[in-house]
Amino acid sequence: MSSFPQPSVIGARTPMVDSVDKVTGAGKYADDLTLPGMLVGKILHSPHAHARIRSIDTSAAEALTGVKAVVTGRETPVKYGILPVGHDETIFAVDKVRYIGDNVAGVAATSEAIAEEALRLIRVDYETLPAHFDPEQSMRAEDYLIHEGRPHNIEREYHHHFGNVEEGFEAADYIREDRFDCAEVTHAALEPHSTLAKFDPDGKLTVWSSTQVPYYLMKTLSSTLQMAEENVRVIKPLIGGGFGGKSEVIPLELAAAVLARKAGGPVKVTYTREEVFYAHRGRPRQIVELKTGVTRQGELTAVEVRVIQDGGAYCGYGVVTILYSGQLLNAMYDIPNVKFDGYRVLTNKPACGAMRGHGTVNTRFAFEQQLNRIAAVLGIDPVEIRRRNFLKPPCRTVNDLRVLSYGYPECIERVCDRSGWKHKYGRLPYGKGIGIAGSHYVSGAANPIIRSMMPHTTVNLTIDSDGAVTIFSGAAEIGQGSDTMQVQIVAAELGLAMEQVKIIAADTGRTPVDLGSYSSRVTFMAGNAALAAAREGKRRILAAAAEKLACSPDNLALEKGGVYYRADCRLALSFQDAVRLAVGRDGTLQAAGTYTTPPDSQGGKFKGAGVGPSPAYSYSAQVAEVTVDSESGQVSVDRIIAAHDCGKALNPLAVEGQVQGSVWMGLGQAVQEEMIWQNGRLMNPGLLEYRSPSTLESPPIETILVESNDPEGPFGAKEAGEGSLAATIPAVTHAIYDAVGVWIDTLPVTPEKVLKALEEKRRSCELTSL
Amino acid sequence: MSLPPFEVLRPWNLDAAVATLGRFGLDVKPVAGGTDLIPSMNQGLFAPKILLDLKGLRDLRFIRFDPERGLTVGAVTTISALTDSPVIARHFPVLHAAARNVASPLLRNMGTVGGNLCLDTRCLYYNQSAFWRQSLGGCIKNEGTICHVAPASDKCWAAFSGDVAPALLVLGASVRLASPRGWREVALADFYANDGLVHINKTHDEIVTSVHVPAASAGWSGAYRKLRIRHSIDYPLAGVAVAMQRNRDGTCVQARVALTAVNPAPKLVKGAKALAGKRYDQALVEEVAADATRTGKPLRTSASTMEYRRHMVRVFVRRALQEVWLNSTWTRPGDN
Repeated sequence: MSSFPQPSVIGARTPMVDSVDKVTGAGKYADDLTLPGMLVGKILHSPHAHARIRSIDTSAAEALTGVKAVVTGRETPVKYGILPVGHDETIFAVDKVRYIGDNVAGVAATSEAIAEEALRLIRVDYETLPAHFDPEQSMRAEDYLIHEGRPHNIEREYHHHFGNVEEGFEAADYIREDRFDCAEVTHAALEPHSTLAKFDPDGKLTVWSSTQVPYYLMKTLSSTLQMAEENVRVIKPLIGGGFGGKSEVIPLELAAAVLARKAGGPVKVTYTREEVFYAHRGRPRQIVELKTGVTRQGELTAVEVRVIQDGGAYCGYGVVTILYSGQLLNAMYDIPNVKFDGYRVLTNKPACGAMRGHGTVNTRFAFEQQLNRIAAVLGIDPVEIRRRNFLKPPCRTVNDLRVLSYGYPECIERVCDRSGWKHKYGRLPYGKGIGIAGSHYVSGAANPIIRSMMPHTTVNLTIDSDGAVTIFSGAAEIGQGSDTMQVQIVAAELGLAMEQVKIIAADTGRTPVDLGSYSSRVTFMAGNAALAAAREGKRRILAAAAEKLACSPDNLALEKGGVYYRADCRLALSFQDAVRLAVGRDGTLQAAGTYTTPPDSQGGKFKGAGVGPSPAYSYSAQVAEVTVDSESGQVSVDRIIAAHDCGKALNPLAVEGQVQGSVWMGLGQAVQEEMIWQNGRLMNPGLLEYRSPSTLESPPIETILVESNDPEGPFGAKEAGEGSLAATIPAVTHAIYDAVGVWIDTLPVTPEKVLKALEEKRRSCELTSL
Repeated sequence: MSLPPFEVLRPWNLDAAVATLGRFGLDVKPVAGGTDLIPSMNQGLFAPKILLDLKGLRDLRFIRFDPERGLTVGAVTTISALTDSPVIARHFPVLHAAARNVASPLLRNMGTVGGNLCLDTRCLYYNQSAFWRQSLGGCIKNEGTICHVAPASDKCWAAFSGDVAPALLVLGASVRLASPRGWREVALADFYANDGLVHINKTHDEIVTSVHVPAASAGWSGAYRKLRIRHSIDYPLAGVAVAMQRNRDGTCVQARVALTAVNPAPKLVKGAKALAGKRYDQALVEEVAADATRTGKPLRTSASTMEYRRHMVRVFVRRALQEVWLNSTWTRPGDN
């Protein structure tokens, strides 16, 4: 046994390794970058929701002094999309525009003003077409379909049935059906998207871009520009927030490269805030029709759900989003029979995509809200009804999701204790309320977007003879702590201080493949790969040291910057001396680690089974306390207690930040955020009218970290960045019920909806009293 | 969209500023904090060749109070200076409350009293980018002919959305303007016109130099209520200012109520006159609240519905009147 049981940098509250650059302003984001001779790129957007392009005349724009390139869809016909089954986008529209804001042409010029003037000079002759805006109407459409090969504008539908819901409902004592409608919301990352593209004289392309997925961007640049992958290099600078909005290829990233090629000079394109709203890829409006059966004791017997997602004009991640909305109904509670009908529908609006809690959030809101309603009807405490339906891991759910670690019961108990639940629920004065809900999320998708036998991620380590350790990782730091996490893990395994370990990351020309920062996969996957690489480095250092010290490597430990004898904790060699021995022995000291998900975590064999499986799931339970003003309908959230099972908090400071950020985003969606549409026109494409909460609406968020120590996670760790978002919403709506006795089933919960519900309640009470 | 090119002129004094306005006519636009104008220029709503930066005019940056002569505030005084002023907090609580509710701390540091009084009217169909507006063919306030919130109307219904104006209205304030032709003073109530297109009675070569509150309004109880989704940053979706002169025994000597953000101009609620000489009476409060909902005519100029904004006008008038009539401590006019 080693005398150093727990490496000290694991579990330490550690500031991010890039935080000094960020707070001093020294750090560079994509838009901070400049190159000699750099041109400004601008994109012409469609003013029509649905129109055929008859012709485009760019001659006046091209004639303008200072304009170096004008590109239209005719020159960019290659289709792409983040999913192999959804290649329906082109860099610029080829024959049709499909939403207000769709990309029609690009211009590169010597100044922003000239580029804008050039856009005004481009003449586009449109033939407008009838457009589809409402998903339930769009899925009945016969004519003027948005894409070929998509009858009724249905991008994709899935029909899953696990167990037997008919029997399940038969066995139920109480069945409840509700319809929920959740408005479309967006990421609102502070950094607008920005891309700088440059061609070398030898024809090789380098792109600096605000992306969560450098590897997929590299591949898409290769396919759309028809270049070999080895000639395309993508570098990710600092990122000012992603939340999913940069997790697929965004049109400007390709436009910058196409313009740079044609202009013969470097081109930077940075979106305006309004363009960010048109690029969007946020959480779609989702309609959930949910039917749940329970026994008298509140045990779940069957759940049937019909989900319609308003996906916008292109597929994007849509097929994955709709699958998550059904698949991850499971793996929270023990549901023996589940039926899911999911429809991803196309409409003439900007494409939706992945957003924090991808696909799970609105279904989770619906389910938790309905469970709380059922508890209220049956007179069972909402906490107790959850206890009666806990999973009993290790287990596999009816849809074949493998669950090993499961800290949800502890999350529930801890938020109850902290909040004083027993003394508050149902006992607060009118206008004050308390509510509870849970949520969960994957720690990385078990299956990659592009099916392949390659590892999900690879991490390389180089240890120089001076003892300097450098990590080469493809993982994309987007503010969540990806770089810091890998430095921590490698330092811990090699017995070094974090300052002795450097990281070079997310540069497809220099670092190995990582699939990107999405589906909360980085800590679990890149973390495990970093751990494997560090173990291999450690093995080789200790082998060389053992040779020199004439003992078995098993008798040695790499700790506290040196090689120690395990028996008496005596220093045998300094780290640097041990490294020199290893370099002398092997010539170089490099190590690689990879991560691939275990086959039994990859899910079932049915159609759509690939989405939902994960090597591990995080869990969250939350209690919200609110004040409701019944005269104005205004809801203020006074306090949120969030317990999150992250497996093991490698860096509690970062985990708490992620949980608080998730809660805060959930809160925005719960009570105030909404993309407002009028005939396909976004009425609030800016941060003044799209109202994310300010500090004044942000209540104290108390975080409780639950550590279930996942058997496969690095040091037991699981995801921390997304799983706490969904629970906030139903916890808040539950608290509103507790405060004033009304259930709001549509999001966001505006004051008007509260007033309307109170009015309806008053009227129905009057009727009953007659 | 990038800012259109412009020159900035920084006049040494007011005379130079006024002369510049006279000389360059419609090519020049005065700016102080820029918190309203610059975002609008970014959206292509204005493209003046010259910006006349008034912020350096130290003579227009002051808060002066004299129990005999009343309160005078220079036009380029920042909103933060209002909120930080003990004199205003003590003698003009409604103005203090309104100032504290303007935008956010950062914007209050930049924004000025004159700028807040001269805010452009706002509408969801107007405060958008050039691309957005043109995709809809423009609106009556800019580049178009129809009002999208009231298509049958030949008038612009964009809402005046300042917080400070209603507070000054209930204090009976007046504004002083300078132009190449000299000075003039106008009651604030007459300064505004109920037309979203031309909502301020000010020629392009006039500058608001100061605002004056009569001594008689000092010491009135006051309250300001603002409807918004966020408690910071947001413009009002509706706003209610109330000021009341009360006797020691709780009798209302006189009261004024004003609304903002529900009409193209801030407006006094006439029904508030009926409170003069009355003791607190819930029914009277309700009558004033009902009159306020007739005075305020919110249309779909913002993301919130007109029904809800009208409802909240009633709720706010009720609450603000209760607050000033029942809760606040009595102060004698001019009392220190």
